[in-house]
Amino acid sequence: MLQSYFKLAVKVLLRRKFFTFISLFAVSATLLVLLVAAAMLDGVFGPRAPEIRSDRTLGAYLMSMSGPDRTRTAFPGFAFLDQQARNLPGVERMTVFSVPSSVASYPDGRKVSSFLKRTDGDYWKVLDFTFLEGGPYSAEDDVSGNSVAVINATTRRRFFGEASALGKTLEADGQSFRVVGVVPDVPFVRVAPFADIWVPIGTARTSGFRHDLVGEYMALFLASDRSALPGIRAAFQERLRNTPLPDPKMYDTLHGGADSLFDSAARILLTDRFEDSRPERLRALLLGLAVAFMLLPALNLANINLSRILERSSEIGVRKAFGASARTLVGQFLVENVVLTLVGAALGLVFAAATLAAINRSGLIPYAQFTVSLRVFAWAVGMALFFGILSGVLPAWRMSRMHAVQALRGSSL
Amino acid sequence: MSSMIYLQDVTKVYRTERIETVALENVNLDIAAGEFVSIMGPSGCGKSTLLNLIGLLDAPSSGTVSIAGHTLDSRLDGRRGRSDSELARLRNQSIGFVFQQFHLIGDLSVVDNVEVPLLYRRLGGRERRLRALAALERVGLQSRAQHYPGQLSGGQQQRAAIARAMVGNPRLLLADEPTGNLDSAMGDEIMGILESLNRDETTIVMVTHDPRMAERTHRTVRMFDGRQVH
Amino acid sequence: MIRHLLKLVWNRKRSNALLLLEIFCSFLVVFGVATSALFVWSNYRRPLGFEWKDVWSVSIDTKVVGDDAWTPQQNELIERLIAEARSVPGVVGAAGIDNTPFGFETNNAGWTSDGKRLRSEAVDATLEVPTVLGLQVAAGRLFEPADNAAPWRAVVINRALARARFGADDPLGKRLRERDPSEPEERVVGVVDEFRRGGELALPGNLFLRLTRPGQPSDRSGRRILVRVEPGATVAIEERLVRRLQAVAPDWSFEVQPLSRLRASAFRLWITPVAVGAIVAFFLLSMVALGLLGVLWQNLLRRTGEMGLRRATGASALDVQRQVLLEQALLTTLGVLLGLALVLQLPLFGWIGWIGKPVFAGGVLLAIVALYALTLLCSFYPSLMARRMEPAEALRYE
Repeated sequence: MLQSYFKLAVKVLLRRKFFTFISLFAVSATLLVLLVAAAMLDGVFGPRAPEIRSDRTLGAYLMSMSGPDRTRTAFPGFAFLDQQARNLPGVERMTVFSVPSSVASYPDGRKVSSFLKRTDGDYWKVLDFTFLEGGPYSAEDDVSGNSVAVINATTRRRFFGEASALGKTLEADGQSFRVVGVVPDVPFVRVAPFADIWVPIGTARTSGFRHDLVGEYMALFLASDRSALPGIRAAFQERLRNTPLPDPKMYDTLHGGADSLFDSAARILLTDRFEDSRPERLRALLLGLAVAFMLLPALNLANINLSRILERSSEIGVRKAFGASARTLVGQFLVENVVLTLVGAALGLVFAAATLAAINRSGLIPYAQFTVSLRVFAWAVGMALFFGILSGVLPAWRMSRMHAVQALRGSSL
Repeated sequence: MSSMIYLQDVTKVYRTERIETVALENVNLDIAAGEFVSIMGPSGCGKSTLLNLIGLLDAPSSGTVSIAGHTLDSRLDGRRGRSDSELARLRNQSIGFVFQQFHLIGDLSVVDNVEVPLLYRRLGGRERRLRALAALERVGLQSRAQHYPGQLSGGQQQRAAIARAMVGNPRLLLADEPTGNLDSAMGDEIMGILESLNRDETTIVMVTHDPRMAERTHRTVRMFDGRQVH
Repeated sequence: MIRHLLKLVWNRKRSNALLLLEIFCSFLVVFGVATSALFVWSNYRRPLGFEWKDVWSVSIDTKVVGDDAWTPQQNELIERLIAEARSVPGVVGAAGIDNTPFGFETNNAGWTSDGKRLRSEAVDATLEVPTVLGLQVAAGRLFEPADNAAPWRAVVINRALARARFGADDPLGKRLRERDPSEPEERVVGVVDEFRRGGELALPGNLFLRLTRPGQPSDRSGRRILVRVEPGATVAIEERLVRRLQAVAPDWSFEVQPLSRLRASAFRLWITPVAVGAIVAFFLLSMVALGLLGVLWQNLLRRTGEMGLRRATGASALDVQRQVLLEQALLTTLGVLLGLALVLQLPLFGWIGWIGKPVFAGGVLLAIVALYALTLLCSFYPSLMARRMEPAEALRYE
């Protein structure tokens, strides 16, 4: 049954080439925009190397400290992470690392700006970097403050050309580091793994950060098991509540959380002081935006569909006269429309891939690596189905109410 | 009596890319003012083409068509530009049309439909409305003025169409099988209206299949394969 | 005729409703994009009020996050850094400021004066900032060395703040804000026409420049040093500058960014959303245009008989074409009126804020023009078809 519907749909679409063309254009352009947006979201929040275990990883990305008349919103401080957030139940491994800071180097009279991130040794065990050459530095390097660094491929090229970087030194932020490893570039949008140069926390020139409750550090918690995640979140909140604050008259509460990447986006976008994370709201918001965006294209397609149906009113009349039920006709029409949107989605997917490649090349977002992943593909199919039904329902309803006789006559002038 | 319609050696050829169809061949016709003439013949004999030529909806390939003293030469074959607007004015002022399929605009009320020809004249809205209502009264449809065509019977629709054809007081009425879609009682009713219009000195040319209707006219022109037969 | 067509459009409301909705939505889309584009454009054309060429911004990372831990020692160190920067060969002038030109961080002050609630951007700046940035005074004067020793803080305000705070009165010599007696008085010494610190595309607003006096713990130093260099300064000078600063404050990090580069990235940040919006809107509209073309064409085919009838009853070919265009114009008018009814709520509720009435009106106007252009363009081909129909054939059309 469905197969004959399908064959019929293809025939009808081929018969009316102009209409098929404009419908396809509309569908593919709409899905192109949605797919690019979805791919970018997926590029920011989805699992990507080196964050391949993100399904059982939580991060402390944001933190605020508030008092009766002031609030400071920033990142977690080193002191809190190092002294309060360790040994959460269910955490297999934890790493503490700094927010990347922009530093300048002047090799051979040129200027190179890089993002430098200070990390502990476990950073390289929580995140799964593949090394192009060399390897990570260790916890030992961190404790003794050895001036070693891991750099990304772009930094290697900037400093050392195409040659190997191992054992060579580079200067950054007024300090010298010996390169021990080189990793591939990580996109700028990936908060935890992104940097150009990674060095041990122990090499920091100051020690003030070691007393900050709120500051510019972050942590990742790798859970032993996905089922441990709720426990870790709860325990993290417990630690926040129990952390003594040095001057309760100024600041009396810490806000933050152990979040997935998407949770933390909800936290930063929907709350003022990071007090709460409502990912379901952010999800609803994004979905609402997508539907609002689809409104005009859907209206457009519905209009095209409607005139396609009216044009075929005599065909519909004949079918009704020969006993096709309204249900069959509506079904046939919806299949036709969904076939159209799916073909449009396939085109949209191709265009989206091209657009993403252009965005990646443009350098607008450093080291962007947006691709059409399997998840995005699934999204495409889902959106196309939704879109096809959204734009097909009204015309189908009109069709079902068309009387056989009226349809046969074609409506009057 | 002067002639209302004068056709001399009129030939009409339709050309498509491959074939040439001769729809009319050397037709000569002279219809005087005030006559009620029917045209009969089998399907495809060229009677509709003849009516279109008389109605200035089409131009002859050769020959002369003269309607109400206006001569349309085959060389003046224009359908656009100045000559088109001249033809349009001539149709508007002198000719009324009635069709087998009524051709009422479904989204307009009956009285609005009747007003359509007046829209192409310089007339105020009130004047248009008064004339349209008068035309409807003449066909006995004043009570249905605000109805929509879909709410009327076939006979009523055709009466509305006749009211529309007459609203501009044309001297010539062209009817293309006006009773073809109607049962005989309704057909008689329509025929009665046409006869009464003819009594008021409107020249009528009617294409019909129905010999009964043709008998009620002054004379009948018979067509076969694009030619007049007598 | 128009009444007749209006009736026709109105009586077809069921089949026209969807088209109307589409026109309405398109109007909103065009309005949104046109208004933002116009806003960005009109904003861009306003004078900047300072010179950014050959000025570098040195940001100082003091490794201190909050403002709570700010100490007089740090103030003093920053003063030494500014002096050091000034002594580097190739540097023409140096000054301290809290937020860099073309940067996105802003400090805002809110206060009440004479019962008026005021808001303004506050920029803490040392004596040399007006010189380094080439500010032009419109009334009064810019900072003078003597201000450094004064017991009050000299303040230079922009024209917008002068109007908002003092109205028609002369602001010179007046107090900017009534503040706690423990804090130094802020006295207006000059007015500049404009100092658009955020750059050409930043939102317009009030701004005051407040002098940071050396050795005064109440006056916080900024964390940026603005350096004016000789034209054509090289990376070598930048490297020397950073090394010299590093030597003075070994614990801090320094990063040099020419204002030209900051300006470029600020541009990109402002333009990108508008450009993306414009591209998406372009897609949407071309989609709507094609769809409309198809729908109108189809509608016209369905009305072939009507067109034939009109020709038979005395409409010329041109009349018929005009009718098709006019009907579309009427439908567009209805859609635009619906859109206007919604959009005009914005100024009624006072929601256009800093967009300003001219830009808003321009956006509305552009949207109206674009919608008529779009729909008439789409109905032009169908109208041509209507004009070229042979009336005899049209009447026979099934």
